[in-house]
Amino acid sequence: MSRFFRQAGDSDSDTESSEDELMSSGDDAPQPKSTSAPKSSMNRFLRGTQSDSSSDSDSDEEDDSDSDVPKQKKSGLPLRSDSEDEESDDEGRTGIRILSAQEKRLAEMEATGKAMDNALKINDWVAISNEFDKLARMIQRQHNVSEPIPPFYVKTLVSLESSLVTTLAKEKEAKKKMNATNAKALTAMKQKVRKAMKEYEQDISKYQADPEAFENEYVSAMTREQQPTISGGKATSGASTVDEVDGGFQSVGKGGKALQLTPEGIFKNLQAVQEARGKKNTDRAEQIRILEKLLEIAVTSYQRIRVLLALVSSRFDYNSSVANYMPTELWLSAQREVDQLIAIVAADSSYIIQEITDDYDELVERHPSQEADGIVRIRGSIISFIDRLDDEFTRSLQNIDPHGTEYVERLKDEKVLYCTICRAQAFYEKTGQDEPLSRVVMRRLEHIYSKPDAVVQALESAADASQITPTMSLVTKGTTSDLIHSLCVYLYKVGNSLLRTRAMLSHIYHYALHNDFHTARDMLLMSHLQESIHSADVATQILYNRTVVQLGLCAFRSGLIKEAQMTLQDIFTTQRVKELLAQGVHQQRFQVLSPEQEKAERQRQLPFHMHINTELLEAAFLVSSMLVEIPLLASIDSEESKRKAISKPFRRLLDFADRQVFTGPPESTRDHIMQASKALQDGEWEKCRDLIQSIKIWSLMPEAPAVKEMLAKRIQEQGLRTYLFTYAPHYSTLSLSLLARTFSLPLRSVTSIVSKMIWSEELPASLDQSGGVIVFHRIEVSRQQQLAQIIAEKVNTMAEQNEKALDMKMGGTGGWGDRADGKQGEKRGEQAQERRGRGERTRGNIRGGARGRGARFAQGLGNQMPGHTSQRAA
Amino acid sequence: MAEAEHDLSKTIIPYLDRHLSFPLLAHLEETNIFPSEEVQVAQYELAKGTNMFDYAETLFKQIHPDEEAPREFEEKRQNAVSTHEQLQQEAQAVLDVIEKPEVAQSLRQDKNQNLQYLKDNYDLTLDQITALYNFGKFQYSYGNYSGAADYLYHFRVLSTDPDLTISAHWGKLASDILTGKWDTALEELNALREAIDSRTPAPFAPVNTSNSNTPTVDPALSQLHSRTWLVHWSLFVYFNHPQGRSLLLETFLSPTYLNTIQTSSPWILRYLAAAAIISTPAPLSSGSTPQSSRVKNAVREVVKVIQMEGYQYTDPVTQFLMQLHVEFDFEAAQKELSKAEVVVANDFFLGDFKDEFLESARCLVSEAYCRIHQRIDIGDLSDRLNLPREEGEKWIVNLIRETRMGQDAKIDLEKNLIQISRPPQPVYQSVIEKTRGLAIRTQVLGAAVAKASAPAPAPEAQTVTVN
Repeated sequence: MSRFFRQAGDSDSDTESSEDELMSSGDDAPQPKSTSAPKSSMNRFLRGTQSDSSSDSDSDEEDDSDSDVPKQKKSGLPLRSDSEDEESDDEGRTGIRILSAQEKRLAEMEATGKAMDNALKINDWVAISNEFDKLARMIQRQHNVSEPIPPFYVKTLVSLESSLVTTLAKEKEAKKKMNATNAKALTAMKQKVRKAMKEYEQDISKYQADPEAFENEYVSAMTREQQPTISGGKATSGASTVDEVDGGFQSVGKGGKALQLTPEGIFKNLQAVQEARGKKNTDRAEQIRILEKLLEIAVTSYQRIRVLLALVSSRFDYNSSVANYMPTELWLSAQREVDQLIAIVAADSSYIIQEITDDYDELVERHPSQEADGIVRIRGSIISFIDRLDDEFTRSLQNIDPHGTEYVERLKDEKVLYCTICRAQAFYEKTGQDEPLSRVVMRRLEHIYSKPDAVVQALESAADASQITPTMSLVTKGTTSDLIHSLCVYLYKVGNSLLRTRAMLSHIYHYALHNDFHTARDMLLMSHLQESIHSADVATQILYNRTVVQLGLCAFRSGLIKEAQMTLQDIFTTQRVKELLAQGVHQQRFQVLSPEQEKAERQRQLPFHMHINTELLEAAFLVSSMLVEIPLLASIDSEESKRKAISKPFRRLLDFADRQVFTGPPESTRDHIMQASKALQDGEWEKCRDLIQSIKIWSLMPEAPAVKEMLAKRIQEQGLRTYLFTYAPHYSTLSLSLLARTFSLPLRSVTSIVSKMIWSEELPASLDQSGGVIVFHRIEVSRQQQLAQIIAEKVNTMAEQNEKALDMKMGGTGGWGDRADGKQGEKRGEQAQERRGRGERTRGNIRGGARGRGARFAQGLGNQMPGHTSQRAA
Repeated sequence: MAEAEHDLSKTIIPYLDRHLSFPLLAHLEETNIFPSEEVQVAQYELAKGTNMFDYAETLFKQIHPDEEAPREFEEKRQNAVSTHEQLQQEAQAVLDVIEKPEVAQSLRQDKNQNLQYLKDNYDLTLDQITALYNFGKFQYSYGNYSGAADYLYHFRVLSTDPDLTISAHWGKLASDILTGKWDTALEELNALREAIDSRTPAPFAPVNTSNSNTPTVDPALSQLHSRTWLVHWSLFVYFNHPQGRSLLLETFLSPTYLNTIQTSSPWILRYLAAAAIISTPAPLSSGSTPQSSRVKNAVREVVKVIQMEGYQYTDPVTQFLMQLHVEFDFEAAQKELSKAEVVVANDFFLGDFKDEFLESARCLVSEAYCRIHQRIDIGDLSDRLNLPREEGEKWIVNLIRETRMGQDAKIDLEKNLIQISRPPQPVYQSVIEKTRGLAIRTQVLGAAVAKASAPAPAPEAQTVTVN
């Protein structure tokens, strides 16, 4: 742009300016390094920068930037002062200063002037030279915002000149007093001042003629509209260059010369920005500011698209380090700009943004009518912006302390993000681009699949408010489940296998969240994901783990204790629940993670609001384990078989609790459950129930009262079973009605439970209908007989082991049991296992199967996290 | 309308051929669950789509006694007759050739070779053979099922076109069912089942992959469809063939078909449950036919499936099994049984088996009852069996006499009780039980090792201390 300026209005010599630059480069030393490359390249055209002097000030960016949003300014301003005046950095941020940008600049100039005066007093020309350069730059900026030269500057210039003359005169008398550098600076000053004087000749003469009038003119100029001043400024300075690109643009835009000036300038600047992108010394803030200004003056759609594309990417560039997240304001403006971009492209179908296009001249304005097929193709990718936005959002959530208000504030932004995603979806639907559409749909799905209905409704209503809405929305679909269903179905049909897998898992998760256990389970089994999940990427594995866990919780809520126990078992046996769910980093006991691993691990973490409460999870698991395990423990009497446990983590805890000599009142959830288990073992179901129900964490579970009630009922039933197992040897008959009274169960269900136990041969007894009692047939087993039974069992397991070993050798995928539940799904597997034998053997088999799945779980993450494979064997 | 609630015709008909639905509708007309006019209209609608114009016309007259039958029937009849002649001529040419004795002799297993042979010697092309198929199909459409079966059979022997062959399979099966030739139908059914099961891996794979761009032709999905249809069609065969019930159990309990039922047609569970109940060894006919283990344990397996799919489908028949074998609530089971009785009587497939069903169901109840109880009040048991006292006593006595319970159960007439004393199983027996299958399993293992001819360790060489 500035080049254009020069070419157009400014015929001053190039040589001079390059000279200037040479000189200034020395003087610029104190300037922060971060000054952008484009800036320096612009400097080339900034002739006159150094040649003028005097100061004064004030700019009204404020006034002419009607279109500018204050916020943007806020972000821009402090950054600018960064490069010019490091000290004002903090003040700039406060925002109060913003209002007085002009005054601030004026003050700055005055400060510089004062510094110059001081230097003058001690005859330090090096300092003066520096200060003068600073002043010149400020004035330059003044020009850019097309403000009149402040009288202060002219005044300074004049006084400087006079002092120069005197000094030079003095110099002649006492030359020796000055050292070399000082002398050099002095001569340089002489030249500079002369040049500046020449440039502002008119102003100076006016000033000298009548300082008062000059100042008045300035003040009135400030209050007036700008145009005349600009032209005036132009006349005097001869378009004296543009240090501040944006300012120049604004004025031009205002000046009504936009059509004539902007287009080419925009593209040149864009190119400059793009060239500087990624370079070491590039000042990213500066770039963003430039682009923001460019956006303001961009007129045609093509320009706006181009500028927006560059602007959004440079916003994303702003934060280079991986560990950090994008500042919220930046993110918000990026989000708005992506919205704008989509709106433009969606409104005008003759512009298409593609990742791959034919080469075109970056510097030329393009218009649909000039293109072969009437469509302008522009290089860029909206979908990657959306991806990036979403990722940055997640990253910021990962980094913000989840317990602070900031987190909540940030979380509110999800709404706008969701809107953007929906808009993008609508856009891609309209243009029929399948590949990005499926990605966008996946993003959308990921935002809603794990959320309760109310939240989804809120998000959806926000999305509905925008003008462009996708075909799939809550309004058209009715319920959230339908919405998610339609999103998922779309992905099943279109998406690649990764997206399909993720959609499937999200779908299952959603069903599980809505307590539709059977559908969720059937989908999970039919998807056969459990076979292939270890080869998936880590994020998908995490999603898989989350889904399985949610399924377990769902089973628990629905009162399917056994299913819940079996589902949750897998993940709890690994003892790395948090890690597997990406909700925390596992403490490594045996080895230390390398920094890269740790970093990768951290990036995988889910933001807090998506966490599944692990304490609740553990409570659900332990309680269901208790309900399964305690009656089982009571039913087996030999030491040998006692060692086999269905749920190892539970058994370990129980053993630990048993060893304790003193037990205080329960505090943690675990304590509660352990004491409840003991009570259950002793047949005190009421105590057990009270203990379980007093666990506080249940309050986090939806429908907590219903769940508690269900648990109470289960405890009654399992209490009865435990009681029968434990005390059967001591009775020969037992009245059913007594049992019903003791366990507060209806007689019918007592009979039903007892019948079931007899039928499945768990309890050697039979019912005497006329007497209403259970008659026990207990047979004492001699030691020898017991041993015989044990050896029979062992031979059995050995045969099984052999079969398995053979299978492995033959290249089978796994053991027989494994194959059963692999091929036909889990339910089939269970069935096959139970079909094979009952009683003890069944238990053994179930356990075997469970262990197999547990191992698979561990592999889930183990594959990609070295070091865990060794633990898996345990 | 309580009966209508449990009527499955509506669910099943979509999975049947047009022609197969006629018997179902006729049955509905008899049972009077639905207003007969409605059923007639339905029949007419069905018949309209076929070439059975006379039938359609009669139906029309029944529904609208005072109206003239629509003209179109006449025209269509003319069309049909001419088409018939034309197709017959085409087919006859082929048939003439095939029926020559020397041709019949020289035909071999290999279809391609046969084709070549026919082409070389008699100038028969594939198109001409397809005429057989067309004619068979046409005959089927106007109700000449036996003729259709013939032509389709010949076609199938000769044709190499996989899709048409499968289609001919279906046609032949339907024809056999409708003509009531249950033995041939059963053969056909098995052949078709094999064809369907072998479909995915076999030569059809390339065909399917080439079409896989279109979402409709997913091989797994189409296989599931075929299986679902097969399951429905097979009901005709299985509930009419003398050995159908145990065959049904064999088929439906095999993992693939169980999956099919679970995923796409849970209502078939009623028939599965009924078949399981019916084929439990009834006391009076015990030991007549040797049954496979799958059939023997059918009830147990079916109960598991019912339990699992309870959220998808329940009806009195499945509920009865649930109450009896899961909840052990005999009162509820009794109630469900009386409901199930009605359902079974009204069901097209199960209607004929009502008595057997009841008998077997009673057996199941009493078996469970006796196993759990030590002393049983006879009156109580009769109640549970839905029988009056007198009859109940007779029934129970018979039961005790005829079955293996004989040794354990004694009737105490004075107190009107059955006393069951079941000595607990001795320990040695349980040990024997446990180790029984081991020898065979080891042998199988040994054979497998030998077959692989890999130097695997001897099966018993691994130490017991593994565990």
